[in-house]
Amino acid sequence: MNKMKIFAGILLFGSLWGFSEIFIGSALTDIGLPAGAIMTGFFALTFLVFSRMFYKQAGMQLGMGVIAGALRLFNPFAGCHLCSALAIMAEGAIFEIIWYKISFDLTELKTITTRVSMGILTSYVVYVGGFIVTQILTPIISGPGFYIENLISLMPNIFSSGLLPALIGGVVLPATILIKNVDVNVKDRLYYPTTIGISVLCWCIVLGSWFLVSS
Amino acid sequence: MISGKEKIISILAISVLLLGIFSALYVNATQINKDTITINGNEYTLNQIFSMCTKRSIETGEGEKTGIALEDLILKIGVYCPACHNYVIKAEDKYQQTISWDILKTGILTDYGRVFFPDTAHTFWVRNVIEIEVK
Repeated sequence: MNKMKIFAGILLFGSLWGFSEIFIGSALTDIGLPAGAIMTGFFALTFLVFSRMFYKQAGMQLGMGVIAGALRLFNPFAGCHLCSALAIMAEGAIFEIIWYKISFDLTELKTITTRVSMGILTSYVVYVGGFIVTQILTPIISGPGFYIENLISLMPNIFSSGLLPALIGGVVLPATILIKNVDVNVKDRLYYPTTIGISVLCWCIVLGSWFLVSS
Repeated sequence: MISGKEKIISILAISVLLLGIFSALYVNATQINKDTITINGNEYTLNQIFSMCTKRSIETGEGEKTGIALEDLILKIGVYCPACHNYVIKAEDKYQQTISWDILKTGILTDYGRVFFPDTAHTFWVRNVIEIEVK
């Protein structure tokens, strides 16, 4: 697959991930559901695994995390924008590390037990890792500075908070792998307008909402 | 036949699930529920705090918030040289943030036990405050 096609894919899936974090994540928070856990266990994992299967390109998920995190910075709704953006970027990077030794044709994930296990493991580590990274980087980037004792006292909470995304991931990953054999071969003349068009639409809606709320 | 990689994935998945379950049990068992806030080693109710300090409204990223000025609170409880210390704001779920006097003096404590600061990331807006430690 050529580089331009992969770059367009990074832009598309990163934008969709960031867009869903903003609008669906905020809606879930408003109705009192654990948005972070659901967003990572369901949406992030689906986008990450699907793009891995479809494009078969290492490094792509890191780029998606950067795009999604950058979009999340412009969240027009209430919440910690910097914390979430950093967590999302970290999640993309952590996914790359976990899946580094997994082949692109997913030969290691033949049995349903292994798929469920990989879903649990990926979702838990991605969520907990993102949580830890944001607890370290947010105080550093925003100014007041990082204190290790604050992180240590929170570690049991962080470890326990990974349980729900892990359970969701245990269902979502096997379900996502089921679509592995679906032929999604899109012709170039449709691929670029579609991927770039959807990405631009996501960014326009988020930036437009952010601008309206800010002004 | 199950390969070595598959075995490792399953073992790691069970390990993270156990880690999550035991952490949840630990968090639940050690959660502190109390009606007072410990400030520099002394216990105060929210009513006491609100009766001795002046109210202030600040503008945050989530609109205007009203509560008692943390600067006034620290001065009223008699902390010597407030600018010489850092302040650890602790929540009932063990979440805590450490901030300097320069930041603390801009903040407020609301009547529902949450602190807000006008110019910090939301991560410093600790909910369900149970202690302000002077370090």
